[in-house]
Amino acid sequence: MSNVTFYDRVEDALNNEQLKVALTRTTSKLGGLRLNALASLPDADGVRDRARLIRAHTISKLADYLEQFAANVEKMGGHVHFADDAADANRIVLELAKQYDIKTVVKGKSMVSEEMHLNHEFEEMGVTVWESDLGERIVQEAGEMPSHIIAPAIHYTREQVGDLLHDKLKIPLSHDPSVIVGHVREKLRQEFLVADMGITGVNFGVAETGTIALVENEGNGRLTSTAPRVHVALMGIERIVPTLDDLSVMLQVLARSATGQKLSVYTNLLTGPRRKSQTTGEADGPDALHVVIVDNGRSKVLGTELAEILYCIRCGACLNACPVYQQIGGHAYGSVYPGPVGAVLTPGLRGIGPWAELPHASSLCGACKEVCPVRIDIPRMLLKLREEGHEKGLAPAWVKMGLPMYRFVATKPALFKFAIKASGFGARMLAKMQGNGGWLNKLPPPLSGWTEHRDFPPFAAKSFSEQFKNRK
Amino acid sequence: MQDSRQIVLDRIRSSLKTSVLPMARASIPPREAAPSSDYAAMSQSFQRDMETVGAKIHRPANDFAAVDLVVDLIQELGGNEILAWDDAELPLAGLPYALHKAGIRRADHRIPNDDIGRKQKLAALGELRVGLTGASAGLADTGSLAMISSPTRPRLASLLPMTHIALLPINRLYPTMAAFFAAHPVVTQDASNLVFISGPSRTADIEMTLTVGVHGPKYIHVVLCP
Repeated sequence: MSNVTFYDRVEDALNNEQLKVALTRTTSKLGGLRLNALASLPDADGVRDRARLIRAHTISKLADYLEQFAANVEKMGGHVHFADDAADANRIVLELAKQYDIKTVVKGKSMVSEEMHLNHEFEEMGVTVWESDLGERIVQEAGEMPSHIIAPAIHYTREQVGDLLHDKLKIPLSHDPSVIVGHVREKLRQEFLVADMGITGVNFGVAETGTIALVENEGNGRLTSTAPRVHVALMGIERIVPTLDDLSVMLQVLARSATGQKLSVYTNLLTGPRRKSQTTGEADGPDALHVVIVDNGRSKVLGTELAEILYCIRCGACLNACPVYQQIGGHAYGSVYPGPVGAVLTPGLRGIGPWAELPHASSLCGACKEVCPVRIDIPRMLLKLREEGHEKGLAPAWVKMGLPMYRFVATKPALFKFAIKASGFGARMLAKMQGNGGWLNKLPPPLSGWTEHRDFPPFAAKSFSEQFKNRK
Repeated sequence: MQDSRQIVLDRIRSSLKTSVLPMARASIPPREAAPSSDYAAMSQSFQRDMETVGAKIHRPANDFAAVDLVVDLIQELGGNEILAWDDAELPLAGLPYALHKAGIRRADHRIPNDDIGRKQKLAALGELRVGLTGASAGLADTGSLAMISSPTRPRLASLLPMTHIALLPINRLYPTMAAFFAAHPVVTQDASNLVFISGPSRTADIEMTLTVGVHGPKYIHVVLCP
């Protein structure tokens, strides 16, 4: 990470008018699509409850299910590797590239590979890597990170995309998405058909069958896992479901929550490599399949009060629903996983040290929990992380100063009563002066720490204790 | 290759002793089977969802009409050579002969095992404009086609060409994916690939503008065979 702070990145994002337009367009559209799609599901709440049960049960027996999954992948002719951390995972993948004499790699979307900075490792080794998901390819060509879990390039306008791909891929210049996509198809088709290795992520691993489920819309995931002679699938340790029936439940909520589709265009179930044992063998498919199961901090999270974040199925609905994400976008978080899920997952996986601000990038409004297909209680864990940050002396300065002052006042009833009256009066005066619809955008120190990054709501005309007294 | 299997599994087991896991039960309760549905209702639901995502559904009156329709479609698209599943996999008995008579050739779809042969074959198949397949099943509640790979059912026929024509007998419709899995419990053991296809290849990565025909077929024709 560079010296640019979280607050610098937020400031940049808030001043980026183009980003604001792109974010509003995307998050509101995805949010609306999600609502319609859930409405098309008979008993959507019941399905979400069941999805939550499945995730909770699976995580509670994770080691057993992982062993079952690995044994079944191997039984079907695939290879399984466990990676302790990102460096270990990179070592495994690079060794495979050497073993199979790989010159070129085509990649489908994989958040785990972002954790590993795999593309960089391949470049160092002299292997060419082509991202094949359109959004991922745009950010790869731009030298950036994805800004959204499921829509990596939502911070770009069509003009920017057209110019960038014209420049980098040497395709004819156009600002029409369908024309751009047509040129990209032709260009990337050549890459799919000559690549030696295909690398994809994994949405779910099915323990009872050793099947990998890969969902996508473009067809790049299918090509990546079919055309090259070697397929390497990268999955986090938590991405397991026990049975095919459980998989069908998770798939009922995944695409609906992510993109508002009933099912993604391609729900691709892969079990072992191309079969050779029959008389002639299957017509096509990879000759070898390697599944790399990556821990990289997850098993540590599992032992804490943040374990529930491992229920996550990476739909991205919490990003779209989050009023903070809607304002600052993905890059401001500075982490691989942005938004509410990232604000829990990143400090959990990487330690709170450099990430203490992220749990504060939330108003605790609960929209993330509300839209989560498996009802993860993200606000609970954000509070937990704030507490941990404060205990370790990592909380932002305004919290460090504000809390002792609050304690001093709040533990003395008379002083507290007076303070409430005075602050209510003061706040209403200030709000009048600032003329911001009752909202305060500037408070005196140390409360200025709060209003530097957010507005403060107006106080009620009568305090709670006054109202309570009047009720009697 | 030495890997970290034991280290990771041991750490998971040790972490599980202190995990806070809301709602974690010892087992997942069984659920009711999906309500059964008749083929007329299922084919209606299938058609509605497929059309919503931009696929074209054809309902020929009988097998003869279906054969004519498929041959006409292929000829319209200029496919004198196509990427197809083998004869026995196409659920229209008269079709192979009709294709032959119309001068429509089927490419040899077997990908060789050696690296150079593999890439040459892929390049050749990548030129073909039309893919012709049967369908292992259809899912009524999502409007999806199921394709199971085999020596005679190449994955690439529903993936490489710009147009994919799929022949789906109505009696292969299932109300839900769960019902399909229940009826085919070992489906994943027999084949390296089972794919559910729900419409043409698409992306919304540029400004959330829905654009079809990214890396897979841009046009899908489903022929519902009576």
